[in-house]
Amino acid sequence: MPDAVVGRHVVISRGDRVALKDSDFTIPQGAITAIIGPNGSGKSTLLHAIANLLPISGGALSVLGATPELSQSQIAYVLQYTTVPAGTPLTVREAVAMGRYPTLGFLRRPSADDKKRVQQAMERLDIAHLADRHLTELSGGQRQRVYVAQGITQDHAMLLLDEPLTGLDINSAKTIDGIIHDEPTRGCSVVLTTHDLEEAKAADHVILTSGYVVASGPPAQVLTPDNLATAYGLGSLHAKDDDAPLFPTEHHDHGFDISHNAHDQHGHGHDHGH
Amino acid sequence: MEWFTEPFALAFQQRALLGGALAALMTSVVGTWLVLRGMSFFGDAFVHGVVPGIAAAVVLDINPLLGAAVAAAVMVFAIEVVNRQTVLSEDTSIGLLFVGMLALGVVIISRLDTYSGSLTSILFGDALGVTTSDLYGQAILAIIVIAVALALYRPLLALSFNAEKAELWGMKPKRAHAALLVLIAAAVIGSYQSVGTLLVFGLLVGPPATASLIARTVPRMMIYSAIIALFSVWLGLTLSYHLSTAGSATMALVPIVLFFIVLAITRLAPKRAPQEVAHA
Repeated sequence: MPDAVVGRHVVISRGDRVALKDSDFTIPQGAITAIIGPNGSGKSTLLHAIANLLPISGGALSVLGATPELSQSQIAYVLQYTTVPAGTPLTVREAVAMGRYPTLGFLRRPSADDKKRVQQAMERLDIAHLADRHLTELSGGQRQRVYVAQGITQDHAMLLLDEPLTGLDINSAKTIDGIIHDEPTRGCSVVLTTHDLEEAKAADHVILTSGYVVASGPPAQVLTPDNLATAYGLGSLHAKDDDAPLFPTEHHDHGFDISHNAHDQHGHGHDHGH
Repeated sequence: MEWFTEPFALAFQQRALLGGALAALMTSVVGTWLVLRGMSFFGDAFVHGVVPGIAAAVVLDINPLLGAAVAAAVMVFAIEVVNRQTVLSEDTSIGLLFVGMLALGVVIISRLDTYSGSLTSILFGDALGVTTSDLYGQAILAIIVIAVALALYRPLLALSFNAEKAELWGMKPKRAHAALLVLIAAAVIGSYQSVGTLLVFGLLVGPPATASLIARTVPRMMIYSAIIALFSVWLGLTLSYHLSTAGSATMALVPIVLFFIVLAITRLAPKRAPQEVAHA
């Protein structure tokens, strides 16, 4: 399977601070990739760089076979914090329809197909019945579904989600989890950040960060006790000498089906000796 | 019936109504984005920031619109300099320029013999002194401002929604923000002769804020805002005629009073429950 993203010696800075040190990583095409690591470890920074919202300050980053700038229009990004001012009069339908802006540009009128895409996205996220509701009238979970619907309404080859399931009610989490699974079947690459080890284990591919990419590859190769201890610090694990408990074979609530991750064999890890 | 028609029987009264209406339309569309972007304080500072330009133009006997445009550019540039060169919050830099520019305007105009009258005219406008030539210029500016604001609907809505998303969608948020500043400047410059620099702020913020209480979409907010602003201009001039009050100030006062009336009505009306609607 080809790589959707390839990073070689990537360095990313936020202002004067280096947020991600010299890192190598890959993200496979048409699969689910989880980025996991402690707070401030560079997870969101990496997503921002892939989406061309942050320029890399070193190394080389290829996204969908081109520079992040050239690929930006093919990337849908559901941000961690989307705070719309309470006074903004925006209905669910209009918020979802904004996902068509990259295709429509400044002035082109939405076609019947554009409207159909908006309706389909709302139906997939189970928010069609809320179409005329004001965004401020929704719960946090419903709003997150709106933002995911906005993302998939966009023409995209890659869907980035920054902690999409954090703090959601079960219904919203299950619905968004369904989208995360469904998108790769449509040929779309999904990249999400998470703090949940179970979610990461259930992904096809994992990137473990700790101010740099500790390891990148299939979950079984990346989420080892040694790598986790490196990323999170010694003493943070209960079963350091046993891999087995980290990879249960049973499915779990709003995690991912781990049965379809066996195809990924191109992962690699490297220790920066920090 | 005469009570309604009498205030607009004469040509200068009709010009005042038309000038106010053009100002109302311009400020409604631009003011909607000003309110949605949470830039009301900037708008307040901005309408004062053009005072030294107009004052200098009066002293030098050049076109006041040119002076206002130069002052607006200087103010935006200075705010940006303070923002980029210090860690001070944006409202501090706006506050600095707000006071500085207004004081400079008063200093410049104080050199004139007609100091008091000129300052009053700049700050509070002279609705009944609007000429036909003024109206032509104002109409052209209004058409341009409204057309550009409508053409930038998507970039400005995306920017109001989230600047990072706007960037991702190719909606050029930085350029959209810069364009909004220009639109605010144009609306202020195009309106100050009718309602004055101080009171144009009432039309920039009052009708959009009132409209936001009842509108469920941004286009409706613009339409409601325009209706409220036009009504305010008409009612303001009518009341000022019958009550012998200052025309511009009465025009600017009406939308603020309307805001509190609509606020009271909306707070008394039953609210929709935020819970998810049950569905099959």
